[in-house]
Amino acid sequence: MQKSTIQFFLINCFLVLILSSCGSVTKDYTPKKLDKTSYQAPYFSDSKTDYVYKANITVYGNEISGIFIAKKINDTTHRVVFTTEFGNKLMDFEISETTFKVNSIVSELDRKILVNTLKEDFRLILKKDYLFQSAYENDSFNIYRSKDGKRDNYIFISKKDQKLEKLIRASQTKEKITVLFNSENNIFAERIQIIHQNIKLKIELNYFKAE
Amino acid sequence: MKTKIFLFLLILNSCNTAFAQEQKMTDAEITSFKQDVNVVAKKIKTLSTDFVQYKHLDFLSKDIETSGKMIFKEPDLLQWQYKKPYNYSIVFKNGKILINDEGKKSAVDIGNSKIFARINKLIVGSVSGNMFDDKEFTISYFKVKGQNLAKFIPKDATLKKYIKQIELTFDKEEATVVQVKLLESSEDYTRIVLKNKVINAKIDDSVFSN
Repeated sequence: MQKSTIQFFLINCFLVLILSSCGSVTKDYTPKKLDKTSYQAPYFSDSKTDYVYKANITVYGNEISGIFIAKKINDTTHRVVFTTEFGNKLMDFEISETTFKVNSIVSELDRKILVNTLKEDFRLILKKDYLFQSAYENDSFNIYRSKDGKRDNYIFISKKDQKLEKLIRASQTKEKITVLFNSENNIFAERIQIIHQNIKLKIELNYFKAE
Repeated sequence: MKTKIFLFLLILNSCNTAFAQEQKMTDAEITSFKQDVNVVAKKIKTLSTDFVQYKHLDFLSKDIETSGKMIFKEPDLLQWQYKKPYNYSIVFKNGKILINDEGKKSAVDIGNSKIFARINKLIVGSVSGNMFDDKEFTISYFKVKGQNLAKFIPKDATLKKYIKQIELTFDKEEATVVQVKLLESSEDYTRIVLKNKVINAKIDDSVFSN
């Protein structure tokens, strides 16, 4: 009898723990009236610009660095290439919101889980058009929720100068990916950080300074 | 109309050959060219050179330009240092690769990585010019206005996956490498231009500490 009581107590404790960690992503923000229903992200939208970044990837304590290159090649699609500092191409993708093509990838990196993760990350930072379903705010940001399949994207626009500074990709209950943008002019981002919450993966991109 | 197009193509074609003017070397020329390069390469105890690297990707509107300095000391100390637009330095030393990425340091043991050992040999070979290994490459030789050009196609399948062809351009007088071109495919390549080359200046081992 006593044993089953302890078991019951333990199960309850676990349930409390699980439930309490399942809070909604928006619990810290105040809901507000939706003041706009669509938005266009600026940072990879110009088809004339070669977007070239120094890339540093930290994955489970390992460091990989190289050059990240993105270019809008038509209305819907970006070409994304990752090379070493010497210029050797490590991967070469074509990504749109609905399509994904691997032009080339070195065999060492050709792992399904890695490719799928990068596909989701790159799609997120390259995405231009958002439709908003609800709005929130905190002290610094207007925050908009945009449904994307099973996930929700939260777009953080700074109240001060209307810049896209943060994206959060989340499930119903948990944040999965956080993207931080630093942009001086709101046309391109000098610095982009992609941080994963569920795996130890961080991608940092720093724009090549103009000479 | 058809004749016009034909004429246009003809002119275009002749322009092309006029610009490129790649002329195959004769057997005698190949022998003497290889000899010249080997004599110079053998004398190289240390070498330092500035470089500008142009990464050409067919879909980009302009090449990605990075630049820095390369230092080599016999037999196998090599530092490849990018200074613009970022600081990134990579040292090949005693079977290790030491990386300094904007102050962030890391080391990779390449004792067991054949591909890196090969890359090391390739870089040193490319810059010194001493790469005429018929076992490793299918080599062809050309003359291009005041310069010599050697094209190397890797025989090894693993290496071939990364590099389709290497082209070394030599200054005719000095018999040293002035340009390295690494072709990944017909459209995409890396072109490295070497300048301000200094041969056999005193270089301390501590340079290669990263």
